[in-house]
Amino acid sequence: MFEDVLAFAALPLAAAIVFTGIHTWFGLHVLRRNVVFADLALAQISALGATVAVVAGHAIQSAAGYGYTLVFTACGALLLTLSRGLARSVRQEAFIGVLYVVATAATVLVVDRSPQGAEHVKKMLVGGILSVSASEVGHFIALYGAIGALHWFIRRPLLAAADGIATSRAAGATVFWDLLFYLSFGVVVTSSVGTAGVLLVFCFLIVPALVGTLFSSRIGVALAIGWLAGAAASAIGIFGSFALDAPTGAVTVLAFAAVLIVAAAVRAFVAAPLDQRRRNRRIGLRTAALIACAVLAVSGLWVVIAPAGDHPVLATIELGVGPERFMTPRERADYLEAASTERRHEGESDRLTGLERRSRWQGEPLGADEVRRIGSMQQTLTEMRRGERFVMDYLRTRARERERWYIGVPLAALGLAGIALVIWRKWQVEKRSAAR
Amino acid sequence: MRGRVGLRTVLSLSAVLIAAFVAHAAAAASLRVVATTSDLASLARVVAGDLAEVETIVPPAADSEAFEPRPSDLAKLKGAAVVVRVGLGYDHWLDKLLAMHADTAVNRGGAGYVDASVGIPLLEVKGSSLDPAARDGHAHGLANPHYWLDPTNAEAITGGIAEAIMRMAPASSEKIIARRDDFLADLKRRLVAWDRQLAPYRGARLIAYHNTWPYFARRFRLNIVDAIEVKEGVAPSPARLAKLAASMREQGIRVILHEPFEPEEISQLLARRTGAQVIRLAPSVGSVAAASDYRALLDYNVEVLVGALAATTN
Repeated sequence: MFEDVLAFAALPLAAAIVFTGIHTWFGLHVLRRNVVFADLALAQISALGATVAVVAGHAIQSAAGYGYTLVFTACGALLLTLSRGLARSVRQEAFIGVLYVVATAATVLVVDRSPQGAEHVKKMLVGGILSVSASEVGHFIALYGAIGALHWFIRRPLLAAADGIATSRAAGATVFWDLLFYLSFGVVVTSSVGTAGVLLVFCFLIVPALVGTLFSSRIGVALAIGWLAGAAASAIGIFGSFALDAPTGAVTVLAFAAVLIVAAAVRAFVAAPLDQRRRNRRIGLRTAALIACAVLAVSGLWVVIAPAGDHPVLATIELGVGPERFMTPRERADYLEAASTERRHEGESDRLTGLERRSRWQGEPLGADEVRRIGSMQQTLTEMRRGERFVMDYLRTRARERERWYIGVPLAALGLAGIALVIWRKWQVEKRSAAR
Repeated sequence: MRGRVGLRTVLSLSAVLIAAFVAHAAAAASLRVVATTSDLASLARVVAGDLAEVETIVPPAADSEAFEPRPSDLAKLKGAAVVVRVGLGYDHWLDKLLAMHADTAVNRGGAGYVDASVGIPLLEVKGSSLDPAARDGHAHGLANPHYWLDPTNAEAITGGIAEAIMRMAPASSEKIIARRDDFLADLKRRLVAWDRQLAPYRGARLIAYHNTWPYFARRFRLNIVDAIEVKEGVAPSPARLAKLAASMREQGIRVILHEPFEPEEISQLLARRTGAQVIRLAPSVGSVAAASDYRALLDYNVEVLVGALAATTN
């Protein structure tokens, strides 16, 4: 089992780190150029190419498949290069957004012609980093190594082009470097989106670069910090998805977000200059206290107003203090009985399912009538369970109608008092500094 | 004056009536049957023969559970005498189409409406009401809907279809009954052969990507231990894959059942880790080229499965 965990985690982690390596560099460029969504547009245009190839009857991994994808990506790169010219009259991002939406819509229309279309579109979005193979990772290392080396040699003109039209001497040169940038960007994004999906690639691209620029404006330092942050986020995401027993891509995206939040906190509360740090901590504490008090106040008031509604905060409190505490002895007995009956029905239903399952291959086969009898028993049990749950919901609502005075009102009062205290403190501090 | 208008009205009305009658008679010669899936369409073709024209809504190689109907599908329902559906929430989108269509004869309870799941001994039954919350985000809501993969269920399915067509064309009843009897007799003969082919592998342990095969497994006495995909369209977690790999090695499971439209990467990954083989079975008529009709569908599945099981036991 442990061996399997390692085996299933090792390759995705290697792929994620390779992706972080090249995407952080491109991400820093993208942030400088202010074209954050260019990767989505490029990826979608290359997906359109891949889709057209599939509908035309080629496998995605075939030479023709790559050909289609590359031609579409090159067209996308050209359009993005030209969009720089638009930046004088409208925002480039608006144009990129339009490009993305049009490419997506076109993909949907093309996909509509192929029976496996829905699956294809879903795969472009969430990818399948979990099932990456060793040869694919090798392929990525070779491709990204070559592109990385190329970019190392031409880093100065590329960065000059990224920093804007003002610094460029000849407009023609800028167009050339832009085109080269978008072409190589397109190749990278096309290959990574096919494996990791649009959502995760966006994370690889933007989050490490953001973390890097939080700490340094020098591109080399930012790149190194971004790599560390990206590798940490990938590891947390992939091992986290084991621990949580949840899909890898989605957990990794959340892990990147968590790393970004932690990095921002470190930047504001630990790494900032001393006087700023003190101010940041004060603002941070105040904001956190305000949010916490507001949540308490609103959920307390919500319980008072609508005890039958959904109450996430109250449900958390009820984990410690169950709703049965606020029931009459009679209600409590009914509540506990309904809960145990529901569990009993569930057990009985599971037993029948197991019995029917085993009979498919073990012992004498069940006849059609016996199968029908089991089916109708299961149906009845499901309906009876629903009935028990209805009883429990009803009794919980009755309990919450009382809880609103015992828990809702104090909760709201606590929250409101907290908010008042925070505001009063702020007022005091301001008064003192004004007096000084 | 009034008398003349009255006479004219009567004349024109009767002309319309005659025209309608003639049109109806012409239509009766070529009934239109619309089935939601290719499997039901294939069975409807067997029963109807040249009496009716049979059309399908879901394209054969597509996933019916993820299907979104189009305006042209509504046009298909227009003028249909019989509508055949899988039921059990599998083709839930048909309800919306039928409501828009508003022809009572093919709507629920109408003479031309056939829910093919009626009379089937259902497996993995969950609830009786279409409660979206209980459906788990999954089309397998009321019970497992893949019942056509058990050839003995063809009797109940064709029975419902035959009754509906006979209600529409009572004159052809005898022909329809004869055709259905011939088909069922042939299916019975084939079932003996399929049983014989799969008999050496009774209780064989298998893993499926999607929970499509309980009826097939029950008929041919196979032990499908688990499904890779727990929720429709959500990738399984790595922890689940590790658990599956461990149990596959422990129980010596050597074959993974896969369907053409499913993403193959995860199954291949498991196969690489455990040395198992991924085989492509056809869940529906037309989902692979060899499964050209209902009998060919079962022929194909039995043949591929027997081939794989024979290779792994040697």
